[in-house]
Amino acid sequence: MAVLRFLLTAWLALFAAGAVSAQITPGPHLALELVAESAAPVPGSTVMLAVRARPDPGWHGYWINPGDAGVPDRFAWTLPAGATVGEIRYPVPHRLMIAGIMNYVFEGEYAMLAPLSVPAGLAAGTALPVSARIDYLVCTEEVCVPESATVEARLTVGDGAIDPAIRARFDGWRAKLPRPLGSPATFAVAGDTLRIAIPLPAEASVADPYVFPVTERALDHSAPQSVTREDEALIVSTKAGGGASALRSLDGVLALGPDRGLSFTATPGEVAAAASGGGGASLPTILLALGGAVLGGLILNIMPCVFPILSLKALSLARSGVSERAARGEALAYGAGVIAVCVALGGLLLALRAGGATVGWAFQLQDPRVILALLLLVTAIAFNLAGLFELSGSGAVNRLAASGKGGAFLTGALAAFVATPCTGPFMGAALGAALVLPPAAAIGVFAGLGLGIALPFLAIGFVPALRRRLPRPGPWMERLRRVLAVPMFLTALALAWVLGRQAGVDGMTLGVAAALVLVLALWWTGRLQMRGSGRAWLPVLPALLLAVGATVLTTRAPAGAESANVTGEAFSETRLAALRAEGKPVFAYFTADWCLTCKVNEKAAIETASVADAFEAGGVQVLVGDWTNGDPALGRFLESHGRSGVPLYLYYAPGAAVPQILPQVLTPGMLTALVHQGET
Amino acid sequence: MRMTMGVFAAAAIAIAAPLVAQQVTGQPARDFKLTDMNGKTVQLSQFKGKTVVLEWHNGGCPFVQKHYNSGNMQKTQGAAVGQGAVWLTINSGAPGNQGHMTLEQTRAFMQSSGSKASNYLLDPEGIVGKGYDAKTTPHMYVINPEGVLVYQGGIDDKPTADAADIAAARNHVLAALAEMKAGKPVSVAESRPYGCSVKYAS
Repeated sequence: MAVLRFLLTAWLALFAAGAVSAQITPGPHLALELVAESAAPVPGSTVMLAVRARPDPGWHGYWINPGDAGVPDRFAWTLPAGATVGEIRYPVPHRLMIAGIMNYVFEGEYAMLAPLSVPAGLAAGTALPVSARIDYLVCTEEVCVPESATVEARLTVGDGAIDPAIRARFDGWRAKLPRPLGSPATFAVAGDTLRIAIPLPAEASVADPYVFPVTERALDHSAPQSVTREDEALIVSTKAGGGASALRSLDGVLALGPDRGLSFTATPGEVAAAASGGGGASLPTILLALGGAVLGGLILNIMPCVFPILSLKALSLARSGVSERAARGEALAYGAGVIAVCVALGGLLLALRAGGATVGWAFQLQDPRVILALLLLVTAIAFNLAGLFELSGSGAVNRLAASGKGGAFLTGALAAFVATPCTGPFMGAALGAALVLPPAAAIGVFAGLGLGIALPFLAIGFVPALRRRLPRPGPWMERLRRVLAVPMFLTALALAWVLGRQAGVDGMTLGVAAALVLVLALWWTGRLQMRGSGRAWLPVLPALLLAVGATVLTTRAPAGAESANVTGEAFSETRLAALRAEGKPVFAYFTADWCLTCKVNEKAAIETASVADAFEAGGVQVLVGDWTNGDPALGRFLESHGRSGVPLYLYYAPGAAVPQILPQVLTPGMLTALVHQGET
Repeated sequence: MRMTMGVFAAAAIAIAAPLVAQQVTGQPARDFKLTDMNGKTVQLSQFKGKTVVLEWHNGGCPFVQKHYNSGNMQKTQGAAVGQGAVWLTINSGAPGNQGHMTLEQTRAFMQSSGSKASNYLLDPEGIVGKGYDAKTTPHMYVINPEGVLVYQGGIDDKPTADAADIAAARNHVLAALAEMKAGKPVSVAESRPYGCSVKYAS
């Protein structure tokens, strides 16, 4: 009986499940609510309204541009006489691809924000009923339901008080709105391809960038977007939409990560021609990069880190008794080894590029830790050339390298591997170009680099006349090796200088100390090697550990280390009020890492020596508001000064009631004049 | 059996070039073969010399219901067929998805809805739908007697699910047909389609 009942229940459950998937449960599937930031706004002020939306689990609401399917929301407001509602701002949406059709949606709770202007001249206590009828579409992955709802909020004219709990909720919603990008973007349509250049400083962090178009039919929503970083711009390349060629301007939101984005307006104009990832890179560009890579590889042969390995191997081949056939075989194996390692290193870099943010190679070299690691490697190689120790440590590799094709392959691999520290500093730009090419072309460039490195050896292997012309091995080879240590030491010196520029005197000292420890250990190793000890490399291990420790410790010198920098303290409204109460002049500026205009102004005006001197002479206090992460308190402060974003430059003269708002493009003269205007 | 092979051959061609599937307005519309509600094979090219209207359909979609329940779709179909055009309603919904219909259900729908369409074609694998880049239901296409695509997009310019909006909307299909009849070029040749997403097999 129990079994029968179980079967019956199971069967019913199955039936019910089928029925649910086929039928839509009664709505609404999106709970909407209207909230005002202040329930008692002051007449003549602006109060922020939020339409809070909570979709049922598994359901989603739509963004202002719904994507390929769906429809945007429709709002019909009912407002008190004289009141107006401004533009409705949506948070950064999510992508939802269903069977090849792109939807721009919100799957969790979200809020649309709109400012309500309260008419002036109303008596306190006047009722301000606000309501909106909202027609919207809400969908699961299978079904869509159009619904409508009327939401209302009952406001009363009052003192503008804001409940801290409500303020916190609004700040949470504000943080998810796209922030307006101050600088103008450009776009270009060529055939089927739309490319958008969005100004963004190289330092701005970006994860999974994507352009959500606000303008209809500007781009194909379902098509993949390829994003590359130029120096000071982010370039998005994708398939153009049906209306792209006729566009006068293109509005969109550039998502920089989850719930984080910048709204921009692009106008037709130049988009940097360099390398788009979506196959937009022209064949000549790729050929040029490839040719450059082969030439670069060829030049690397005379670099101090490759030449010794190559010349020793070449000389061994030149010895009598090597048949023509064997020479060719060895040359080919060597070439294969070089190219394999180059392609593997390239693949690693591409994987890093795909995995992390699109951080440029040049940017890596701005990291003092990378410089320190290179310094240690170059120092070790220099002392190796100088004869302090031998690189013949691992016996297996050495025996294999002695002769034969396997040995030639390993020698090639070693040459390419040892060549990388040389390529780093000297070919950073070229490798950077390779990294913005489409992956296949980028791998091609790395293979070209390998081919270039292998070319001389291939020539020696295939042309007997060249082999005969090579000088006979002898003691002169040792002398040449010692001489080659000199350029390597110079490289180390240059790296130490770069480290000093980046990490200050302390950082450079740390780096040189780490190099010293490493060299002492290598010296010990060299002595053990001379005695023929099998454990010659043991002393290096603790030294390497110390070096790694030093690398971790090395940090970028704090801002302000350079004499011309104006050092500002972090902005807060209380700090500003305190400084103004003391009667001090205050210069407050608001910046963000992703704001190119801000960075240009800081470099060209704020952080110049003349401004620093003038501010110091005038006792001007500097406050810096960093809006990189969209701090809501700063956002409100910006709003209260009529700005929706950065940059904003304010000067509070002593005793002045209101700040002077400076233009968005600064010159040192404007800033120094601020100090002098008080004197006249 | 041979017919099935033909369908599969058409399928293979469509699948071979999925990225260039989008049909270009002003260019010849790609030929296709599909099974109709009576189990017969229908080929687009057999209607050469006549204007053809394609309508993507999903009976469960509220946007489709807006135009059927109000009679707007039937009125548009009647006007098109009355002018000598061929109206093909196409369903690209995959089995198990909303709006998918069997042959019997299709015939019943044609009866009950009062559809004036010339035929109802089934595309359960979504091959023709993807070949035409049909994104929404409804999504409309007009092909002229020479086989050239002259319109693709929404049925009208009011992207809502509210039937009350139909009266004030510009019916892009009727407008295109009227302009073609008058020997004029189609003034709005593309628009943004709106509605539910086509429920393709994923």
